[in-house]
Amino acid sequence: MSVRQAIVGIGQTVYRRRNPDANTAELVRRAVSEALADAGIGLDRIGVVVSGVAPDALAGRTDIDKSSVARPGIPYFRVNTGGASGSSAFLAAMSWIAAGRCDAALVVAVERMGHASTAQKVFNSIFDPIYEKDISLSTISMVAMRATMLMQEHGYTLDHWAGLAARNSASSMLNDTIDQPRSFTADDVLKSPVLAWPIHALESCPMTEGACAVVLVADHLVGDRNAAWVHGAAGLSDSYAMGDRIHRAEGSLVDLLTLIRSTAKAYDMAGITDPTRQIDCIEIQAPFASSEAMAYTALGLCTPAGGPAFVDAQIDRSSRISINPSGGPQAVNPVSATALIRIAEAALQVRQRAGRRQRDGVRTAVATGQGGATQFSTCVVLGDRAQ
Amino acid sequence: MAADAPTRRKAANAVYVHGVAITIGWADERLSLGDLIFNGVSAALADAKLSMAQMESVVLASHDLVDGRSLSSMVTAPPAGAYLRDEIRLSEDGLAALSLAAARVEAGECEYSVVAAWGRASEGDFARISRRSFDPAMVQPFAVDEFGVSAMRLSAWLATHGPAGEARSRAGAVRERSAAHRRLPTTKLVSMPAPLMSNDAPRPADIMVAAIVGRASAAIRIAGVGHGTDLTAIGDRDLKRCTALADAAAIASGAAGIAPDGFDLYELDGATLADEALAVEAVGVAAPGQGFAARATDPRINRSGGGAAGWAYPANGLLRFADACLQMRGEAGAIQLPGRPRTALATGLSTVAGQAAVVVALEAS
Repeated sequence: MSVRQAIVGIGQTVYRRRNPDANTAELVRRAVSEALADAGIGLDRIGVVVSGVAPDALAGRTDIDKSSVARPGIPYFRVNTGGASGSSAFLAAMSWIAAGRCDAALVVAVERMGHASTAQKVFNSIFDPIYEKDISLSTISMVAMRATMLMQEHGYTLDHWAGLAARNSASSMLNDTIDQPRSFTADDVLKSPVLAWPIHALESCPMTEGACAVVLVADHLVGDRNAAWVHGAAGLSDSYAMGDRIHRAEGSLVDLLTLIRSTAKAYDMAGITDPTRQIDCIEIQAPFASSEAMAYTALGLCTPAGGPAFVDAQIDRSSRISINPSGGPQAVNPVSATALIRIAEAALQVRQRAGRRQRDGVRTAVATGQGGATQFSTCVVLGDRAQ
Repeated sequence: MAADAPTRRKAANAVYVHGVAITIGWADERLSLGDLIFNGVSAALADAKLSMAQMESVVLASHDLVDGRSLSSMVTAPPAGAYLRDEIRLSEDGLAALSLAAARVEAGECEYSVVAAWGRASEGDFARISRRSFDPAMVQPFAVDEFGVSAMRLSAWLATHGPAGEARSRAGAVRERSAAHRRLPTTKLVSMPAPLMSNDAPRPADIMVAAIVGRASAAIRIAGVGHGTDLTAIGDRDLKRCTALADAAAIASGAAGIAPDGFDLYELDGATLADEALAVEAVGVAAPGQGFAARATDPRINRSGGGAAGWAYPANGLLRFADACLQMRGEAGAIQLPGRPRTALATGLSTVAGQAAVVVALEAS
């Protein structure tokens, strides 16, 4: 990176199913005010506002960002890369600062999907209108196909998905940004309804609203602020067509090729050669337990064949690396904001400001972003000191 | 006023325009949206004499719902070259995408970047879609859309400056005459709310514009970029001033070191003729009240025909930019300005009704 950058401010609303008491601008104001106060920076010091807002249809209104995030007098633009919108917006803000266009950026992501009567109907319409919409393809059926492949090719079982979901549930109970965390065991997961085999209801994310804001600055503005330094960051896009990715030579549908390559680039920038030893904490954008397991391999934490054993170690908490101490997207998944929340939570961990969910000794943390049928991937590496 | 520092391109991190391509048509059943995008990016690469293998970055501008898909870039990014590349998509006008692509080059993140923006007006009713951008409780019941705001803007202008009369008619005639070079088929009529008139209407079209920008020296340099942002609420805005556009233009022209009225060419985005005339005033090429007169008589302004030569959100700003580049290269055909413009100013407006604006100043290297 040509300019060293750091996160010095974070703000989050409470995440809940609906917010009938607040309009979108009010949600954004809560997150932004908290982030600016955390950073000790006024809006007059912000040189660009970048938002991450995913499908307009989820909010039932187009360009909802303009009336809630855009700030008169400050350059503004909106990023939309589906579920990766928040982290893509973060990368865009990094480019702005690295280009010397400003030295302080405000990244905001907000989700109002509580307005949608059903998210899955909206998600069905993201696919090809001729070939795919009519076969009921949705985010859930898409994940089910991948989970089945993982079970068939690498030996995962339903217990792995249920165990991960239960671990995330337990972690979420310590997260004070969640309005009503769901407490359940692995047995509860297996007894919950099947949405699309092998996906059970309790291992999938709930519909969630909320906003997240992050203040990103160039190194000369950090001063004595408690900072999470960006050591590496990268993003990559793929074909969205799952059929083209099933037996692709470069990597199959469950190999998450874009996350592999994003991670490799970010690790290289950060000087990470042995992630299992050098990384202390990871926030993974995985709205389903099987998606989380799929990311472990892409992040270099285990081999494909060693995936089930690594999941076992996560379930019994014998692994050194803390994964999703916030509870992750299986606890709350405000789609537009989820990827930025991963960055925010990773930053809170390295800043030792994660409250009851703080894990000991976190000095290096990683956050991933996934969007558009895992078409978009991002990886951000954060550390507690400048490189 | 915009808080961003002027983004002057220094020699050390200058960004150049290597290629542009414009595709404008209407309901061509032979081409899917993916085909349209693939062809456009391929043409821009050919124009730049570069290959996709040399592109490390792709920045796109498209809009959910205008595309008929609820996540526009998902299906359409790969045809734009985003396959296994660092791609980002903005829900803004295409000129914002160009600005971000230039920032990536300036930052040293890539040597070249693809920029692409598209809109397919034949697949949707923009006015109807734009209504969904307004407050659902307080504004949508009044059926306000982007053209309705344009009418309010013109009303405010007329209340201050009086009827433009002959200048307004002549500006419309000049616009239509310039637009004839596109040879666009009859598309569809857009009804204009009063005091707009039928000749204020844009000509909806299916538009795909692509550009290649990069660090290597080329004939056209991006000399300045400005962003401006206005209030959302129409009632709170100074409608005549077009605040976001005025702020962005001041920053871009200042960064380029060129007086606001000193460019050789102005390609200005506007949903209607009236919006183009007010944009002329906002960027500083004509005094307040003189926008229609300048639009009618100054050959530097929207030589391309502006919105009458094809209009589809969110491709318009990048279209204005590409038209400016063609003029500067002496490749504008029947509408080529005498001599070759050495400087140009291109503008792009995003929803809601120009709430966000991007202005790019261009200079011959």
